[in-house]
Amino acid sequence: MKLDINVENKTAGVVSVAVQGDVTLQTSPALRSQLKPLFSQENKQIHVDLSGVGFMDSSGIATLVEGLQWARNTDGRFVLHALQANVLDVFNLAKLDTVFEIVEADA
Amino acid sequence: MNFDMEDAEASQVGKLKFQLNCQRDCVHILRSMVEVMSMRANLNEKETNRVVLAVDELFANIACHGYSDKPGKVEFEAKISTNDAGIEELHFMFRDYAPTVNVQGWACGGGNPCATENITPGGLGIQLIHSIMDVVQHESLVDGNRWILVYMRKQDERGGHET
Repeated sequence: MKLDINVENKTAGVVSVAVQGDVTLQTSPALRSQLKPLFSQENKQIHVDLSGVGFMDSSGIATLVEGLQWARNTDGRFVLHALQANVLDVFNLAKLDTVFEIVEADA
Repeated sequence: MNFDMEDAEASQVGKLKFQLNCQRDCVHILRSMVEVMSMRANLNEKETNRVVLAVDELFANIACHGYSDKPGKVEFEAKISTNDAGIEELHFMFRDYAPTVNVQGWACGGGNPCATENITPGGLGIQLIHSIMDVVQHESLVDGNRWILVYMRKQDERGGHET
């Protein structure tokens, strides 16, 4: 299973991360290793595009929670974009849909 | 409430049984099998995703906590049956030969969300399993553990698998 992760610096302090594939126990370490260096004081906003993610398990959510913690600790923004219905459902089940900043696809 | 996999024998309309090595890279095999059973049970896409997720999470917990990420034998059974109320049920059974697991403390507890600072994949995974499955049973055996998951098809989710 392969996870494609594309990190792009939009402007100073604003980073966009596009993820494509299933985020699972197997692939979440790769996502974590890409995200972790971004959790710095230099960045103010991290936008994660999940439109290409069709399945996510608890290890994927736990990885994203690290982003949430970074945002809280640094007064930054960690925003999840364009979650597919199945992935959003997992956030609902975990009661984390209101904890994360989630932006719909056409917003 | 106790569920025994044998109870599903009489009315079963589908059954799948296999043994696999409990390693992370085997999870996609398990997922394919659970998808097959979910489609046979005519679950819709949302239900299928949930059931696949719950079974995945249990397998991951057996691999991580039971076998400590080392290879180990896992027997898996899935059955479709219809209960007395005419509701389709999907039964899943895992039998592992790992040291007996203490599941106390895995879940985040209650109906409240996990505090984000305390979230771990294992704890969150157990919370997801409990929120999806109607029955979650763990039995400590002399030489391992038996896990039973039962999903009852929801009345308001009827409509079949979306293709």
